[in-house]
Amino acid sequence: MFRRKRKDMGGIPTASMSDVAFLLLVFFLSTTKFDIKKGLGIVLPAVAQADMKKVKLKDENLTKVWIDKEGQVTVISGGVDEQIPMNQLEAKIKRLVTQNPDMVISLKTDRKSKYQFMVMALDKIQAAGAEKISLSTN
Amino acid sequence: MAKIKKTNKPETMIPTASMSDIAFLLLLFFMVSTVFVREKGLPVRMPRAASIEKIPRTHSSTIYVNRNGIISIDDFVVSIPDVRWVMQKKLSEDFNLLACFRTDKETNYGIMSDILNQLREANALRVYFEAKLKR
Repeated sequence: MFRRKRKDMGGIPTASMSDVAFLLLVFFLSTTKFDIKKGLGIVLPAVAQADMKKVKLKDENLTKVWIDKEGQVTVISGGVDEQIPMNQLEAKIKRLVTQNPDMVISLKTDRKSKYQFMVMALDKIQAAGAEKISLSTN
Repeated sequence: MAKIKKTNKPETMIPTASMSDIAFLLLLFFMVSTVFVREKGLPVRMPRAASIEKIPRTHSSTIYVNRNGIISIDDFVVSIPDVRWVMQKKLSEDFNLLACFRTDKETNYGIMSDILNQLREANALRVYFEAKLKR
Protein backbone atom coordinates (compact mmCIF):
# COMPACT_ATOMS: atom_id res chain seq x y z
CA MET A 1 0.00 0.00 0.00
CA PHE A 2 1.24 3.46 -0.78
CA ARG A 3 1.07 5.87 1.95
CA ARG A 4 0.23 9.33 0.86
CA LYS A 5 2.58 11.98 2.15
CA ARG A 6 0.75 14.64 3.97
CA LYS A 7 1.64 18.05 2.61
CA ASP A 8 1.38 21.14 4.80
CA MET A 9 -0.71 23.76 3.16
CA GLY A 10 1.12 27.08 3.13
CA GLY A 11 -1.05 29.97 4.12
CA ILE A 12 -0.93 33.53 5.32
CA PRO A 13 -2.92 34.12 8.50
CA THR A 14 -5.59 36.60 7.57
CA ALA A 15 -7.22 36.94 10.96
CA SER A 16 -5.01 39.84 12.03
CA MET A 17 -5.11 41.52 8.65
CA SER A 18 -7.87 43.90 9.75
CA ASP A 19 -5.85 44.82 12.84
CA VAL A 20 -2.94 45.83 10.66
CA ALA A 21 -5.19 47.75 8.33
CA PHE A 22 -6.91 49.58 11.17
CA LEU A 23 -3.58 50.43 12.74
CA LEU A 24 -2.39 51.99 9.51
CA LEU A 25 -5.72 53.75 9.11
CA VAL A 26 -5.58 55.23 12.59
CA PHE A 27 -2.01 56.33 12.03
CA PHE A 28 -2.87 58.18 8.84
CA LEU A 29 -6.05 59.62 10.34
CA SER A 30 -4.19 61.08 13.28
CA THR A 31 -1.12 62.32 11.43
CA THR A 32 -2.89 63.90 8.47
CA LYS A 33 -3.19 67.62 8.91
CA PHE A 34 -5.10 69.45 6.27
CA ASP A 35 -3.59 72.78 5.45
CA ILE A 36 -6.72 74.89 5.64
CA LYS A 37 -5.88 78.53 5.40
CA LYS A 38 -7.93 80.89 7.46
CA GLY A 39 -7.63 84.59 7.80
CA LEU A 40 -9.02 88.08 7.59
CA GLY A 41 -9.79 89.32 4.12
CA ILE A 42 -9.67 92.86 2.86
CA VAL A 43 -9.59 94.55 -0.51
CA LEU A 44 -6.98 97.25 -0.93
CA PRO A 45 -7.77 100.47 -2.76
CA ALA A 46 -6.27 100.80 -6.22
CA VAL A 47 -3.45 103.25 -6.72
CA ALA A 48 -4.87 106.65 -7.61
CA GLN A 49 -4.63 107.33 -11.31
CA ALA A 50 -4.25 110.81 -12.74
CA ASP A 51 -7.74 110.77 -14.24
CA MET A 52 -9.36 109.51 -11.07
CA LYS A 53 -11.44 111.89 -9.08
CA LYS A 54 -10.86 111.87 -5.41
CA VAL A 55 -13.98 111.44 -3.37
CA LYS A 56 -13.96 113.51 -0.29
CA LEU A 57 -15.58 111.77 2.61
CA LYS A 58 -17.75 113.73 4.93
CA ASP A 59 -16.37 113.93 8.41
CA GLU A 60 -19.48 112.41 9.93
CA ASN A 61 -19.06 109.32 7.74
CA LEU A 62 -15.48 108.70 8.73
CA THR A 63 -14.08 107.09 11.82
CA LYS A 64 -10.35 106.85 12.24
CA VAL A 65 -8.88 104.11 14.35
CA TRP A 66 -5.31 104.81 15.24
CA ILE A 67 -2.97 102.30 16.83
CA ASP A 68 0.21 103.67 18.30
CA LYS A 69 3.46 101.77 18.77
CA GLU A 70 2.43 100.48 22.19
CA GLY A 71 -0.82 99.07 20.82
CA GLN A 72 -2.96 101.78 22.37
CA VAL A 73 -6.14 102.39 20.37
CA THR A 74 -7.51 105.84 19.70
CA VAL A 75 -10.86 106.25 17.96
CA ILE A 76 -11.41 109.58 16.23
CA SER A 77 -15.02 110.06 15.25
CA GLY A 78 -16.79 113.32 14.56
CA GLY A 79 -13.80 115.33 15.72
CA VAL A 80 -13.68 113.65 19.12
CA ASP A 81 -10.58 111.69 20.15
CA GLU A 82 -11.13 108.83 22.51
CA GLN A 83 -8.55 106.42 23.85
CA ILE A 84 -10.10 103.04 24.48
CA PRO A 85 -8.74 99.62 25.40
CA MET A 86 -8.59 97.03 22.61
CA ASN A 87 -11.35 94.88 24.12
CA GLN A 88 -13.85 97.75 23.95
CA LEU A 89 -13.14 98.51 20.29
CA GLU A 90 -15.70 96.05 18.97
CA ALA A 91 -18.56 97.50 21.03
CA LYS A 92 -17.53 101.03 20.08
CA ILE A 93 -17.39 100.29 16.35
CA LYS A 94 -20.66 98.38 16.54
CA ARG A 95 -22.34 101.42 18.06
CA LEU A 96 -20.94 103.72 15.38
CA VAL A 97 -21.92 101.39 12.52
CA THR A 98 -25.48 100.86 13.73
CA GLN A 99 -25.90 104.60 14.12
CA ASN A 100 -24.60 105.27 10.63
CA PRO A 101 -24.44 102.37 8.13
CA ASP A 102 -22.40 104.50 5.72
CA MET A 103 -19.60 104.82 8.25
CA VAL A 104 -16.15 104.19 6.84
CA ILE A 105 -13.62 102.84 9.31
CA SER A 106 -10.09 103.86 8.53
CA LEU A 107 -7.50 101.81 10.34
CA LYS A 108 -4.13 103.43 10.70
CA THR A 109 -1.23 101.78 12.46
CA ASP A 110 2.07 103.21 13.57
CA ARG A 111 5.05 101.90 11.61
CA LYS A 112 6.75 100.88 14.83
CA SER A 113 3.68 99.04 16.09
CA LYS A 114 3.45 95.27 16.03
CA TYR A 115 1.55 93.50 13.25
CA GLN A 116 -0.35 91.63 15.95
CA PHE A 117 -2.15 94.80 17.10
CA MET A 118 -3.27 95.61 13.57
CA VAL A 119 -4.71 92.11 13.11
CA MET A 120 -6.42 92.32 16.50
CA ALA A 121 -8.01 95.66 15.63
CA LEU A 122 -9.02 94.52 12.13
CA ASP A 123 -10.55 91.40 13.65
CA LYS A 124 -12.57 93.49 16.10
CA ILE A 125 -13.71 95.92 13.41
CA GLN A 126 -14.82 93.10 11.11
CA ALA A 127 -16.55 91.32 13.99
CA ALA A 128 -18.44 94.54 14.73
CA GLY A 129 -20.03 94.28 11.31
CA ALA A 130 -18.30 97.23 9.67
CA GLU A 131 -18.49 96.80 5.90
CA LYS A 132 -16.42 99.73 4.76
CA ILE A 133 -12.95 99.31 6.14
CA SER A 134 -9.87 100.97 4.77
CA LEU A 135 -6.29 100.31 5.70
CA SER A 136 -4.28 103.47 5.73
CA THR A 137 -0.67 103.08 4.85
CA ASN A 138 1.89 105.56 5.94
CA MET B 1 -38.13 10.08 30.85
CA ALA B 2 -39.10 13.02 28.85
CA LYS B 3 -36.39 14.41 26.70
CA ILE B 4 -35.85 18.10 27.01
CA LYS B 5 -35.37 19.41 23.56
CA LYS B 6 -32.99 22.24 23.18
CA THR B 7 -34.39 25.04 21.12
CA ASN B 8 -32.20 25.81 18.23
CA LYS B 9 -31.28 29.44 18.69
CA PRO B 10 -29.92 31.20 15.65
CA GLU B 11 -26.52 32.62 16.37
CA THR B 12 -26.02 36.29 15.71
CA MET B 13 -22.72 37.14 14.14
CA ILE B 14 -21.26 40.08 12.36
CA PRO B 15 -19.36 39.03 9.30
CA THR B 16 -15.79 40.14 9.82
CA ALA B 17 -14.29 38.76 6.67
CA SER B 18 -14.75 41.97 4.70
CA MET B 19 -13.72 44.23 7.55
CA SER B 20 -10.16 44.51 6.29
CA ASP B 21 -11.42 45.42 2.84
CA ILE B 22 -13.31 48.36 4.31
CA ALA B 23 -10.34 49.42 6.38
CA PHE B 24 -8.01 49.24 3.41
CA LEU B 25 -10.46 51.21 1.33
CA LEU B 26 -10.55 53.99 3.90
CA LEU B 27 -6.79 53.83 4.25
CA LEU B 28 -6.29 54.14 0.51
CA PHE B 29 -8.71 57.06 0.36
CA PHE B 30 -6.83 59.00 3.02
CA MET B 31 -3.46 58.17 1.49
CA VAL B 32 -4.58 59.39 -1.90
CA SER B 33 -6.42 62.50 -0.75
CA THR B 34 -3.73 63.74 1.62
CA VAL B 35 -1.77 66.62 0.18
CA PHE B 36 1.41 67.58 1.92
CA VAL B 37 2.49 71.18 1.91
CA ARG B 38 5.38 71.53 -0.43
CA GLU B 39 6.19 75.13 0.30
CA LYS B 40 8.67 75.54 3.10
CA GLY B 41 8.25 79.23 3.79
CA LEU B 42 9.61 80.84 6.90
CA PRO B 43 8.97 79.97 10.53
CA VAL B 44 6.29 82.36 11.74
CA ARG B 45 3.99 82.59 14.72
CA MET B 46 0.72 83.83 13.38
CA PRO B 47 -1.55 86.14 15.34
CA ARG B 48 -4.90 84.97 16.61
CA ALA B 49 -8.26 86.30 15.47
CA ALA B 50 -11.90 85.39 16.01
CA SER B 51 -13.76 86.48 12.89
CA ILE B 52 -11.70 84.57 10.37
CA GLU B 53 -12.93 83.05 7.16
CA LYS B 54 -11.64 80.24 5.01
CA ILE B 55 -9.25 81.27 2.27
CA PRO B 56 -9.74 79.42 -1.03
CA ARG B 57 -6.71 77.26 -1.69
CA THR B 58 -6.70 77.87 -5.41
CA HIS B 59 -5.53 81.30 -6.57
CA SER B 60 -3.88 82.02 -3.25
CA SER B 61 -0.24 82.92 -3.06
CA THR B 62 1.41 83.03 0.32
CA ILE B 63 3.76 85.79 1.35
CA TYR B 64 5.82 84.89 4.40
CA VAL B 65 7.18 87.70 6.53
CA ASN B 66 9.11 86.74 9.63
CA ARG B 67 9.81 88.85 12.67
CA ASN B 68 13.10 90.11 11.26
CA GLY B 69 11.34 91.47 8.20
CA ILE B 70 12.54 88.82 5.78
CA ILE B 71 10.01 88.32 2.99
CA SER B 72 9.63 85.02 1.19
CA ILE B 73 7.39 84.34 -1.80
CA ASP B 74 7.43 80.83 -3.31
CA ASP B 75 10.49 80.04 -1.20
CA PHE B 76 12.44 82.92 -2.71
CA VAL B 77 13.61 85.65 -0.41
CA VAL B 78 12.66 88.98 -1.94
CA SER B 79 13.28 92.55 -0.93
CA ILE B 80 10.44 95.04 -0.48
CA PRO B 81 10.81 96.80 -3.88
CA ASP B 82 10.82 93.41 -5.66
CA VAL B 83 7.45 92.40 -4.22
CA ARG B 84 5.73 94.51 -6.85
CA TRP B 85 7.35 92.72 -9.80
CA VAL B 86 6.90 89.27 -8.34
CA MET B 87 3.22 89.85 -7.63
CA GLN B 88 2.68 91.49 -11.03
CA LYS B 89 4.09 88.40 -12.69
CA LYS B 90 1.88 86.15 -10.58
CA LEU B 91 -1.14 88.31 -11.35
CA SER B 92 -0.50 88.00 -15.08
CA GLU B 93 -0.58 84.22 -14.69
CA ASP B 94 -3.68 84.18 -12.52
CA PHE B 95 -6.12 87.04 -12.70
CA ASN B 96 -7.95 86.00 -9.52
CA LEU B 97 -4.85 86.05 -7.38
CA LEU B 98 -5.20 86.34 -3.63
CA ALA B 99 -2.26 87.48 -1.59
CA CYS B 100 -2.11 85.68 1.75
CA PHE B 101 0.10 87.06 4.43
CA ARG B 102 1.73 84.70 6.85
CA THR B 103 3.32 87.26 9.03
CA ASP B 104 4.84 86.83 12.44
CA LYS B 105 2.84 88.67 15.07
CA GLU B 106 5.94 90.47 16.31
CA THR B 107 6.76 91.99 12.94
CA ASN B 108 6.88 95.76 12.73
CA TYR B 109 3.86 97.12 10.91
CA GLY B 110 6.07 99.43 8.84
CA ILE B 111 7.31 96.49 6.75
CA MET B 112 3.73 95.30 6.22
CA SER B 113 2.71 98.80 5.24
CA ASP B 114 5.47 98.89 2.63
CA ILE B 115 4.49 95.49 1.24
CA LEU B 116 0.82 96.51 1.09
CA ASN B 117 1.83 99.58 -0.89
CA GLN B 118 3.80 97.34 -3.25
CA LEU B 119 0.74 95.13 -3.70
CA ARG B 120 -1.35 98.17 -4.53
CA GLU B 121 1.23 99.18 -7.13
CA ALA B 122 1.10 95.66 -8.55
CA ASN B 123 -2.71 95.86 -8.59
CA ALA B 124 -2.96 92.75 -6.41
CA LEU B 125 -5.73 94.15 -4.28
CA ARG B 126 -7.31 91.11 -2.69
CA VAL B 127 -5.42 90.49 0.49
CA TYR B 128 -5.82 88.05 3.34
CA PHE B 129 -4.07 88.21 6.67
CA GLU B 130 -3.73 84.68 7.87
CA ALA B 131 -4.50 84.05 11.50
CA LYS B 132 -5.19 81.23 13.86
CA LEU B 133 -8.59 80.81 15.41
CA LYS B 134 -8.81 82.44 18.80
CA ARG B 135 -10.15 80.12 21.46
